[in-house]
Amino acid sequence: MIAAVHFKNFKALRSAAVQLAPFNLFIGPNGSGKTSLIQALLRLRTLAGLPVGHGHDLPGQKPDGPQIEFHFNPPYQNVRVTLGCNSDELVCNLLVVDQPPGIAGEGEWAELRTKLQGIRAYLFDHYAMALPAKRSDGAELSSNAGNLAAVLAARRERTPADFKAFTTDFCRILPEFAGLDFRDAGDGRIELVALLTGGNEQVAAESLSQGTLYLLATLTLAHAPEPPTVVCLEEADRGVHPRMLREVRDALYRLSYPKDAGMERAPVQVITTTHSPYLLDLFKDHPEEIVLASKHGNAATFMRLSERTDLVDLMKEAHLGDLWYSGILGGIPGE
Amino acid sequence: MMKIALLSESPADEAALRVLVEYVLGQKFNLIAPSLRARGWPSVELVLPAILRHLHFNTNADGLVVVVDSDDSPVHMAEHEAPGYHHPYCRICRLRAVFRRTIKNLPPARGRDRVLRAVGLCVPALEAWLLCGRDTSVTEAAWIEGQASGRPPYTRRELKWKVYGTDRPGLPHETKRAVQEVTRHHGDVRRLENDFPQGFGSLARDLRSWKIPV
Repeated sequence: MIAAVHFKNFKALRSAAVQLAPFNLFIGPNGSGKTSLIQALLRLRTLAGLPVGHGHDLPGQKPDGPQIEFHFNPPYQNVRVTLGCNSDELVCNLLVVDQPPGIAGEGEWAELRTKLQGIRAYLFDHYAMALPAKRSDGAELSSNAGNLAAVLAARRERTPADFKAFTTDFCRILPEFAGLDFRDAGDGRIELVALLTGGNEQVAAESLSQGTLYLLATLTLAHAPEPPTVVCLEEADRGVHPRMLREVRDALYRLSYPKDAGMERAPVQVITTTHSPYLLDLFKDHPEEIVLASKHGNAATFMRLSERTDLVDLMKEAHLGDLWYSGILGGIPGE
Repeated sequence: MMKIALLSESPADEAALRVLVEYVLGQKFNLIAPSLRARGWPSVELVLPAILRHLHFNTNADGLVVVVDSDDSPVHMAEHEAPGYHHPYCRICRLRAVFRRTIKNLPPARGRDRVLRAVGLCVPALEAWLLCGRDTSVTEAAWIEGQASGRPPYTRRELKWKVYGTDRPGLPHETKRAVQEVTRHHGDVRRLENDFPQGFGSLARDLRSWKIPV
């Protein structure tokens, strides 16, 4: 949906641009703009839900501080949205929409802004996930997945086929578990429990490992009957054994390429980050899905890995992850 | 029953190789646990000495099967089999050299002198073997000719599409398709040996050289 984002003087992104694909894995040192991109997308979502100024109505009010400009894929390629920010506090409160004139343009923007409301960002918190959740809070996964139990319980009730596919996938990946269940935690709250294979033993969410909880949250997203339009997931590899990273990648691919997984729904644009060379290794056949964030002094830039003309030759004798760690690709911290 | 370790890149590769090794040996075998994984080339070459030491001293493995993708590297050729020959970029030659170097320094252990070796090379990737007999354009000869002319007959991505219907298969689908394709051979690997005489042929010859305990 989002084709490109151009940054001007936004935090470390002084003059940076990034083309976005259906699936995007961002790598790079801390402070290189990965999270800033996600923050910009969330701000776009928020402001797109409010009344906006249109470019042709506001010729003198173009933002002059930090700016973030968004371009979109067809059928919204004629709409351009600019976020204007206050240069002192870096608060972006101005949204300028350039759209084709007339009713057709209004319609395009109306449709696009509805889709922009579907942008979601996640940084899973295993402490929050382990706690019982309000039963009434199961509409969609919250940004820290703290309502995981409620979302899954609601799914089991409303779309049992999706819940079954989800649990089947979970139990295949972690065969020590035979299923998931829920128990009442009082005060209208519900608790997630996992059933151990080969017996009746149950493990409460608070006793599940971090990695298991993160995997549950990722799979919950991947099997969502009505997923967000854009999923931003920070540290997709967190807590997961290197051998299981393939499952994380596959779950995220399921969002971006539903047809490949035999599903009919619309693709979800995925923007995720990692610091794991092992996860990076899994993209050797698709380096075009990797975006390298680099820092030069205080300024950060983005580069799609497939732009490296020597990448194919480099990959003949080394893994992508090792190439990144070694510094050959860039995207490393200053030492 | 033989006790064999498989070094592969993924559970899908392992499932397919397990079937193929059984076909060549003509009998079932016990797989050494836990499964051994490498992250593809060049990790296989780097981790192989440690794996051999581990299997030799810590397990009762009779043999180790290692299969890697050739990617764009030179294909193993009949002349590489000449005594003392070593092609510096051929992955079979390199893996055999690692076996030789590592094993010669190991004392006998667990009642055997050494862990037996079987090395195969998928040209250019496992999906080519999976298409054997189903797509006659996918052969080692076609790939070698393409390398020589600078016009590869197909890409890894195209092979994946042909096998999985996507180049981003999920693991269960990849495993299912891989096993479906190899079991098409119903125990008869002659077509694989014919179409992939060096990559698969080397693996088959290594395996047949093993003295199988009754």
